[in-house]
Amino acid sequence: MKKKVIGLIDGQSGNIGSINKAIKDIIKGRPYRLKIIKGHFNYASFDKIILPGQGAYATLMSNLKKLKIIKPLQEYLENNSSYLGICVGMQILSDWGYEDKITRGLGVISGDIKKFRNKKLIIPHMGWNTINLNNDDTIITNSFDKKDFYFVHSYIFQNIKKSDVLAFTLYGQKFPSIVKKGNIYGVQFHPEKSHKHGLNLIKNYILKS
Amino acid sequence: MLKTRIIPCLDVIKNKVVKGVNFKNIRVMGNAVEMAKYYSLSGADELCMLDINASYQNRKTFIKTVEAIAKVINIPLTVGGGVSDLSDITDLLNAGADKVSINSAAVKNPKLIRKASLRHGSQCIVVAIDGKRHKNKMKVVIKGGREITKRELISWAKQVQLMGAGEILMTSMDTDGVQNGFDSNMLKKVTSNVSIPVIASGGVGSLEHFYLGHLTKSTGLLAASVFHSGKYKIKSVKKYLSSKGVPVRT
Repeated sequence: MKKKVIGLIDGQSGNIGSINKAIKDIIKGRPYRLKIIKGHFNYASFDKIILPGQGAYATLMSNLKKLKIIKPLQEYLENNSSYLGICVGMQILSDWGYEDKITRGLGVISGDIKKFRNKKLIIPHMGWNTINLNNDDTIITNSFDKKDFYFVHSYIFQNIKKSDVLAFTLYGQKFPSIVKKGNIYGVQFHPEKSHKHGLNLIKNYILKS
Repeated sequence: MLKTRIIPCLDVIKNKVVKGVNFKNIRVMGNAVEMAKYYSLSGADELCMLDINASYQNRKTFIKTVEAIAKVINIPLTVGGGVSDLSDITDLLNAGADKVSINSAAVKNPKLIRKASLRHGSQCIVVAIDGKRHKNKMKVVIKGGREITKRELISWAKQVQLMGAGEILMTSMDTDGVQNGFDSNMLKKVTSNVSIPVIASGGVGSLEHFYLGHLTKSTGLLAASVFHSGKYKIKSVKKYLSSKGVPVRT
C-alpha cells in the first residue's frame, strides 16, 4: 500500500518540535510518512500539509516567501487539498493581516486578521479557553464541543463569512477558533499544547481525512 | 471563558527538582522529567522550570532535561533561570521551551526584552520580576532578593510591557517561601498597571491562597512546595477554585 505523505512546514515561526513529535506518535505503525518542508516543494506529492506558527503574521508571510514556499502552497490550496493551519498558520489563510504592518495573506478564506476590539482586555489572550462548535464534521467531531484548548494570540479573524466558521470562542467578544473551507482547516489555538483533546484533534485530522 | 491557569514550578539543578531556602539546605524532591510528566497528566495548565544553579557545567545537563521534558508533556512549558543573552533564549526555545523567562538580565539590560520579543515574538518572552518592599517602596530585587536595585516595581512592570514582554511572572520576595499566601497588595498594584497577563508567584500554603491569588486579577497562579510535598493535588485545587466560581480547566 502506498503511504500517505504528510508535510509539516517549518516556516521558522516558532518551534515545530511539539507538533513534529505529536504527528510521529500518531503515524507510528500506520501507512503514513512525515516530511518536513523547509523550501520549495512539489505540491502534488503531499496528501496533507500542516503549518504551525507563532509570532507575527507579516514575519511568517515573509519567511514563507524567502523560503519559496508561498507559490507551491498556494497551488496546493487552490486544489482544495487537505491543510491544517495552526495559530498564525491559520491566520495567513485570510486576505489581509494588520499586525505590525498591513500584509497580504493567502486569500483562501475571506476576512482580515485584526486585534481584539475590547481595549480593556488582557492581551495576549493566553491560556485555556472553550471552543463552541457551530457544526461538526468527521475531523471536528461533537466530542470537541465545549472543550478547552490552549490559546496564545492578540489578533483574531474578522469580517469572515459565517459559513467558514466551524467553532467560536469567547474572550471579550466572539471570535473564530476553528475555520474551515472544503478540506482546508485552521485552528487559532495550539492543539499540540492542548493535552489530550489537542492530540485527538491532530489524530482526527491525520487519520480521518 | 478564559480559565485561570494553575502552574507548578520546578526549581531544577541539572536534572533534579530541589527545594532549598536561600540556596542552603538544598533537598532533592525528585527527578525533573518524572515530575513534569506527572504534573502534565494530573491537570497542570502549564509548567514552569527554573535552573536555579545555572553554572556552565550544570547548564548542559539542564538543557538536556528541558529537551527530555518537552518530549513527554503536551502543555506549555516556560523555562528560566540563568538566561543572560539572546543565545540563551534561542537555546532554550530550540530545546523545546514554549516560553523563556528573563529576570536579572532584563533588569541590567532592558533592551534584551525588545530584541528577544522582536526575534521570537512577544508570546514566548516572559519577564520574571522579583519585588520587595524597601523603605516603604516596592522595589525590584535580583539575586534571589539579596540585591535591591534602583528600579521601582510598578514603573519596571510598565516598562517591560512596553518593551515587548508577553507576560510577567511576579514573585514577591516578601512572601516567597513563607506559605502565608500570595502578596495580594503587590500583585494588585502590578495587574492594575499593565495589560499583559500576570502570573502570581510566591507564598501559597493553602487552598484559600489560590483563591485570593485569583482575586488579584493574576491569570496564572504558580506554586511549588504545596504540590511537590503532596499537600495538594492539582485536581483538588481546581475543584476548590471551581466551587468558588473561578473558571478552571477540568
